[in-house]
Amino acid sequence: MTLKSYSRRENGPIFLTLLAVIVAVILVEMFFVRGGDITKVAFIKPRNIANVLMQVSTTGILAISMTFVMVSGGIDLSVGQMMCFVGTGMAFMMRILGVNDVLVALIGVVVAVLFQVLMGFIISRTKLEPFIVSLGFMTIYKGFTYLITNGSEITIVDHFTFLGGTYFNLTSTFRIGMPVLVLIVLEIVTWLVLKYTKFGRSVYAVGGNENAAYLAGINVKSFKLLVYGLNGLFVAIGTMVLLSRLGTGNPLIGDGKEIDVIAAVVVGGTALSGGKGNLWGTLIGVLLLGCISNALNILGVNPYWQYVMTGGIIILAVLLSYFSGLSSESAKVGPRRGDSAQSKKALAE
Amino acid sequence: MDGDLILDMRGIWKSYPGVSVFEGFDFDLRRGEIHCICGENGAGKSTLIKILSGAHAPDRGTILFEGRKVENLTPHSAMQMGIQTIYQEHNLFPLLDVVENLYAGNQITNGWVIDRPTMVARTRDILKYLHSEISPFERVGRLSSSEQKVVEIAKALVQEAKVIVFDEPTSSFSQVETDHLFEIIRRLVENGKSIIYISHHLEEVFRIASRVTVIRDGRKVGTYPIAELTEQKLIRDMVGRDVSLFYKRDRLPIGEDVVFEARHLSGNGVRDVSFTVRRGEILGIAGMDGSGRTELAELLFGVKRADSGAILIRGKPVRMKTPLSAIRNAMCFITEDRQALGLFLKHALTRNIPIVSYTRTRTPFALPSEDIRLSEHYVEELKIRTPGVSQLAMQLSGGNQQKVVLAKWFASRGEFFIFDEPTRGIDVGAKEEIYRIMVDLLREGKSIIMISSDMPELLAMSDRIIVMRGGAASALLEKDDINQETVLKHAIGVA
Repeated sequence: MTLKSYSRRENGPIFLTLLAVIVAVILVEMFFVRGGDITKVAFIKPRNIANVLMQVSTTGILAISMTFVMVSGGIDLSVGQMMCFVGTGMAFMMRILGVNDVLVALIGVVVAVLFQVLMGFIISRTKLEPFIVSLGFMTIYKGFTYLITNGSEITIVDHFTFLGGTYFNLTSTFRIGMPVLVLIVLEIVTWLVLKYTKFGRSVYAVGGNENAAYLAGINVKSFKLLVYGLNGLFVAIGTMVLLSRLGTGNPLIGDGKEIDVIAAVVVGGTALSGGKGNLWGTLIGVLLLGCISNALNILGVNPYWQYVMTGGIIILAVLLSYFSGLSSESAKVGPRRGDSAQSKKALAE
Repeated sequence: MDGDLILDMRGIWKSYPGVSVFEGFDFDLRRGEIHCICGENGAGKSTLIKILSGAHAPDRGTILFEGRKVENLTPHSAMQMGIQTIYQEHNLFPLLDVVENLYAGNQITNGWVIDRPTMVARTRDILKYLHSEISPFERVGRLSSSEQKVVEIAKALVQEAKVIVFDEPTSSFSQVETDHLFEIIRRLVENGKSIIYISHHLEEVFRIASRVTVIRDGRKVGTYPIAELTEQKLIRDMVGRDVSLFYKRDRLPIGEDVVFEARHLSGNGVRDVSFTVRRGEILGIAGMDGSGRTELAELLFGVKRADSGAILIRGKPVRMKTPLSAIRNAMCFITEDRQALGLFLKHALTRNIPIVSYTRTRTPFALPSEDIRLSEHYVEELKIRTPGVSQLAMQLSGGNQQKVVLAKWFASRGEFFIFDEPTRGIDVGAKEEIYRIMVDLLREGKSIIMISSDMPELLAMSDRIIVMRGGAASALLEKDDINQETVLKHAIGVA
């Protein structure tokens, strides 16, 4: 398969972008920092790769359910502040109230799901924009967070160690942590759900044309409740993962996370208007943003410049998929994969 | 020749992809007359408006306005010349007051500053001239439909209209409101304005017109002074087409058993409609635009809930709460607007065709291989012209898109089909294919309810026809009663 034909595939452009960024980072580090010696390049050392995977795990988990939300035509700006709220709330229960870890996890999940269902209820029963409704919830969560913590962090040493402290040694130098395993498992499960279930079809149908979906017998309102509820579940899981790694319920634990998550989903090819997108694209988007941030650190770029460069790369990636989308739409290409001889015959008639 | 002609259209040709609307259409308008235009749905009335208002350019032909040839008419230049169109739906800013609406984009200024006092004063004058009690400061969104119509007329006057085109102005008007509008129109004419008035209410035409032009299938049948016209002649002119042009479908024996029945359905603008459908039958639903046909279909399919009445399938009452309940009862709804309501335009055929079939299986799973198999099956069976099943729905032609919609419902293995305008915007060849597919459905013992504005289609395909008017069923026509004149008479209410 040539590079050109690959770029026409759904995740082609973003995957090529990821490869290009990785190669560029390696070359830049090798020639400008390590004096041309590839064995000294820190970016591709197993330890660093494991590190990048660990760093993107939370964003990756949240980006999965955000993909569901956005492909079905919604958006949720509240996920970052919800993490703060749920995270500090769990820390509070464990540290101050001394509640058992398992119970805390359960309560965290239930609260997150309930709040998301409430939000989904408002969004699905009215014509209010999800953007505005979730903006409101975002602010509410921020308030809750400071009511719980009063602005200071709540440390929780020795809790949730199963999540944050379990490692799997794949080789003597390469090990992955439990958060990465959780991400991989969730990624595979949700990919199967999206591809092989009616629920998955509904995600695309509702995002593609809500009215047509309703007339095709999909209960659009309940469906949206379900999607937002699912989002709550994933936010709770992501929060636990991060909480266990950091060992502290910081009121800023998820601050700004919604930007990372939405950026990764959009860079990964999901249309803001809904109906288009997929989980592998999202995962590549997550990895792309993770790699960039990691590389800029390794290269010793001024942190303030890192924002500028990350933003620029997001825009570049989206532009790239926009232009590749334009060319494939206007081309109206002939038979593609999956087309049988029968349908070719139909064309010939 | 006529010095008093303000508008003269000669030899107008206009076609859209797949359909030709005007083939040498002529029309003239005298200064100070009320010229009514009559025709069935789709005869070309709205295309005429679009050409006059500059929205669409004719392919050929000349337009003379006040004796001068008009070229490259745009909406802006049409207004500047003095042609104002008052559309059926309002074109106002609901959140702005009357003054701001009258002068929107056209404000009176004092140098750089908007001169609101002058605008207010002139608004008062115009409203007084129209004998209207509306306050200049009322927000337009809070006015009634007929008051908004007055505001639109006032706006036309502000822009110094010479010709005002009314498109079905009285739909949703009460008798008093209609009378008031007619008074205003007469006053406009006395002051030298010329009026083009489009309506399918024949009694209005006879009340107000000075001359009438009848359009049929994009051609002018004739222009008559109102005194020379009778209702009989007008209707004959509107429908008089050669019956031999109609599609000839196979007539099949119709079962005796009633499989679908509506009893006294009301709600959603529908008033007390009852009918039965038998196995293997096409029940046609006729009526002018806005007579409640689509609204009836929405009740049958559970899109909107009925206030009262019952739907019976094979004699058993069924509650249509949502489209899902209708689908579970083997109903299918091929909507009027296939792009907005029927298709997932940006999705492949494999995502469009199987979507309803999922509701008919019990497992939560949906296999991509099954999607492809199903899609390929229907692509072949319905002869959908596409390079393959991974083609996006938006990339197909209108006729093929309609077949994708059909495939979607066929895949759900439904038995009762509601077709709302099954062939709108489809070229002739694809139309006949759709008709053949419909007859094949009957052959399999299925039943069809078909709403159509296309008179030849309705007459050729239906076994029986219900005619709707004002939300109610005004007639049920069978066999020998089914002809163009009877259907039209019941639809416009002169029978």
